[in-house]
Amino acid sequence: MSTKMFKVLGVLLAVTMLLGLAAPIAYAQEPCQGSSSQCAVEAAKKFAGTTINYVREAGLQAQDPLTMAPIWEELTGIKVNVIELAYLDMYTKPLQDHLTGGGAYDAIDLSPMWMQDYVNAGALEPLDPYIEKYMNPADMEDFLPVYRSEGVMKINGVTYGLYDDGDVFILYYRKDLFEDETNKAEFKAKYGYELVPPETEQQMYDAAEFFTNKYAPELYGLAIQRIEGQAYSWFVGPFSGRGGQFFDENMKATINSDIGVQLLTDMVKQNKVMPPGVEKWGFMEVLSAWMDGKVAMIVTWPPIGRWSAGYGDTAKQLAWVPASKVVGKVGYMPQPGGRPTLAGGFNMCVTATSANKEAAYLFIQWMTSPDISLQRVMLPFALRDPYRLSHFSSPLYRSAWPEAGEYLDTLKKAGMSGQYELGIPGAREYMEAIDNALTAAYAGKDPKAALDEAAAKWDAITERLGVENQKKAYEQWLKNPWNRLGPTVEVPTE
Amino acid sequence: MGLHTRKWLSQAIRYPIALIALAFFLFPIVWIVLTAFKTPNEFLRNPPVWIPQTPSLVYFEHVIKTGGLKALSNTLIISTSTTLLALLIGSLAAYALARYRVGGDNLPFFILSQRFMPPVAVIFPFLLFFKALRWMDTHQALILIYLTFNLPYAVWMMRGFFMEIPREIEESALVDGCSPLGAFWRIALPLVSPGLVATGVFCFIFSWAEFFFAVAITKSQAVTLSVYIVNFFGKMMVQWGEIGATSIVSMFPLFIISFLMQRYLVRGLTLGAVK
Amino acid sequence: MAAASEAIAMSSGMPQRRKRNLIPWMFVAPCMLVILLVTIFPTIYSLGLSLTKWEIGLQERPFIGLGNYIELFSTPRFLHSLLITLLVVVVGVSVEFGLGFSLAQLLSGEMKGKRVIVAALLLPVMVMPVVVGYTWRLLWDAQYGPINQIIGWIIGQPFTYTWLAKTETALFAILVTEIWQWTPFMFLVFLSGLAVMDPEVFEAADIDGASGWAKLWYMTLPLMRPIIIVALLIRGLDALKFFDIIFTLTGGGPGNSTETLSFYIYQTGYQFFRLGYGAAASFVLLVFLALFLTYLLKAFRATVEG
Repeated sequence: MSTKMFKVLGVLLAVTMLLGLAAPIAYAQEPCQGSSSQCAVEAAKKFAGTTINYVREAGLQAQDPLTMAPIWEELTGIKVNVIELAYLDMYTKPLQDHLTGGGAYDAIDLSPMWMQDYVNAGALEPLDPYIEKYMNPADMEDFLPVYRSEGVMKINGVTYGLYDDGDVFILYYRKDLFEDETNKAEFKAKYGYELVPPETEQQMYDAAEFFTNKYAPELYGLAIQRIEGQAYSWFVGPFSGRGGQFFDENMKATINSDIGVQLLTDMVKQNKVMPPGVEKWGFMEVLSAWMDGKVAMIVTWPPIGRWSAGYGDTAKQLAWVPASKVVGKVGYMPQPGGRPTLAGGFNMCVTATSANKEAAYLFIQWMTSPDISLQRVMLPFALRDPYRLSHFSSPLYRSAWPEAGEYLDTLKKAGMSGQYELGIPGAREYMEAIDNALTAAYAGKDPKAALDEAAAKWDAITERLGVENQKKAYEQWLKNPWNRLGPTVEVPTE
Repeated sequence: MGLHTRKWLSQAIRYPIALIALAFFLFPIVWIVLTAFKTPNEFLRNPPVWIPQTPSLVYFEHVIKTGGLKALSNTLIISTSTTLLALLIGSLAAYALARYRVGGDNLPFFILSQRFMPPVAVIFPFLLFFKALRWMDTHQALILIYLTFNLPYAVWMMRGFFMEIPREIEESALVDGCSPLGAFWRIALPLVSPGLVATGVFCFIFSWAEFFFAVAITKSQAVTLSVYIVNFFGKMMVQWGEIGATSIVSMFPLFIISFLMQRYLVRGLTLGAVK
Repeated sequence: MAAASEAIAMSSGMPQRRKRNLIPWMFVAPCMLVILLVTIFPTIYSLGLSLTKWEIGLQERPFIGLGNYIELFSTPRFLHSLLITLLVVVVGVSVEFGLGFSLAQLLSGEMKGKRVIVAALLLPVMVMPVVVGYTWRLLWDAQYGPINQIIGWIIGQPFTYTWLAKTETALFAILVTEIWQWTPFMFLVFLSGLAVMDPEVFEAADIDGASGWAKLWYMTLPLMRPIIIVALLIRGLDALKFFDIIFTLTGGGPGNSTETLSFYIYQTGYQFFRLGYGAAASFVLLVFLALFLTYLLKAFRATVEG
């Protein structure tokens, strides 16, 4: 299966290159009528010979631009120098560079959470003039609405980034275990309702408890990343889904409300039905336990869905991924609780101090254009996840493995009901306070006390950055329906 | 208990204790070395697998392909340059302190005290400074910083060595019309060459392992091994195999140096207090 | 740092000889230039920074006097990080000292294979601290780490404990890691110190029938004083700046419970871009270092010159 996929991808890449060489004249006119990738290539040719410094997360993430850069260079003569940075350095280094004069980076990847800090610092180039000039308007409409909204690609109505990573939490479950007749009967006898792929947090907990009680230590019911630095992402979605709010009308933190405390209490309780030591589990531990068939459910980022189907397991870049023992046994659901966390994600942005803004913009337009980005989200070793309507409906992607259609539909559904992490100035500091509260509670601290401390930290941050400023920023941020907390999203009609 | 019994007893327990100590101090190193040869299924397995079943060099290949060699050569270039510069500038100053007693007794201690400056206190001004010079992400930026931290050490150490050699030899050369610089370069410096080696080893080790400044100043061109290895500890995946492979690359040059230079180590480690 | 050495300078009271000869000064000039340029300028700059409110979210950078310092000492997280730093310095360095000294006592004198044993024991010192942190993170792991496995063998049943997820044991793990890396340093220093001591003194004591403890207390320790001071000086000052291992081993967690001062400053100053506040915190660290340095350097100086 995957070898065939490689061939198809190879042909696609070759066709793209040929098209670029043929250079149809239609693409040279402005505004762009045809494919945005072609328009970008045509316009970029006049910058042949320049070099763009582009920041990407180090490691596997960087394999994608490293694969694409030579193709782009071949087409346009523009060299892309991929600068690999550790995840948190992707926030600090370009900002540090800007504060000390700038100029080191042309294009950068930023999480939506960080956008306001960057815009406030004047570190980003507004992209609207370029979009108008070079992008086919239809391709803008092709971004899934949640990903092109205010607070994600746009800040105060100005576009600062092109979205490039549909990160949303979904639940992966073992179909074989959930459909097993004995399991179903035993579960019903004990819990009084049918064993179904969980939609609610309670269902997820019950199923986890059931499987752990029955199979541990050979198999545990559930595994969720609890490690410091990312634990907060699993708090945000359920907190919103249960009706929790970040702030009250006076910008006082309300994360320590009864809803928050109950949620954290439940999260601590979940640890008991998860594998021992889960408090220190990151993506790798969850991935390996899952691929090894040692857990019944996981809630995490999208790439696991592709790898557990065995998609791309012959790729050299994936030598470190354990071989999947669960091929064909995987079902997908949005993260239980109503509001899956839109955890992380990346915009591609152009820095305000770049000396090659136009070339940098054209590069990110090309990378995120429907045809090129489809190839990229389908690279077997990609960590970029589908984010365009055309990705979700792509026949090629939907046939990549037998359950790929279900996978894509689940990602789309989860994305459209998702909850973003807080994206106002100081966002990283706010989220770190939650993260600290969670890991402290996992270490035994009283959930209420932990969240009270986090709320006090929040108030101090707000105070420091100015209550009025923060209030304004928060109100602005709330204009995006996927940023508003609450059990359901009011998707705007267009 | 008689004298002999006690002696015998202390002899008898030496080897078992040495063995326990060796096990404790070597086990972590052995573990990270083995990790470089394990498959993902082996380093993420419960119960832990100790011996890799299908050892291969795949992580080393990956490290080489993804810029590991560059990080190694950057680390070598930076460490070597800093060491040579620190020795040159440092022994010149040390010579003046030892022979001419420049600045009396206080200057040597002032210079030594600079060795203990906390990096967090000076990092942001450094960033501004290098930015203005357009030195961000360059070898020379790290060389300059490490030089600042190595110089106090080099001066202090070399001063000790110069004080040990009799001054009569240089004095006769000076009488014969040799310049002070000539006396330093042609006569004094060769006499302290063992001292230069001892001091150099430590400057080299410090520069080799440094992380804080390196992570702040490098981006892609001047990345050193300590920064390079951290990149394998990603938000999503932790590439333990590559971390193991890079660890091996970063450890063994120092192991070899420390083994060859063992007799110089003590004096270096104790700022010359133990000769 | 300058404060510390000035204190030393004043306390020494040695008359300074004025040299008319400029050449020696020219020898020192390049060294002084580098040191002054690269340490004094940043120190002064940071001092200025510490008196302003410098936040990434704010457009203005007003002068606020001691505001940052006042905030520091009313922030529990800062005080906690100070406590953790002192814990590492006091407990960590003491244990290193005790272990290193005992090991050196035991292995001093002639012994077969000593050169190899000593060389092997020294290896931890040569490992990059960043690597040390990652390695121990693997070792302490609840499921995949050998420590739990070995404990399981000893007690005869599977043992699972998540060391780094509980505050007390995370602190313990940090101390073990620090002690692992630097006990060999203490060991080697004391081993060399013992080697150069005059054996005749001890033989005389043996004849007088002095007990082992008495010899240790009344002879070995006083004779080793200069070496002990140097070892404590070097380790103590480095432990005050403890950062790399926290960064890779616990990331300061769980909660903020294992943050050291350097890690806290890094987090607030260079991750959250609170540059004024971070600069103030680093000045507090600087004062601690200076106090420590003044005291130990004075003792050191008395011994190397005495």
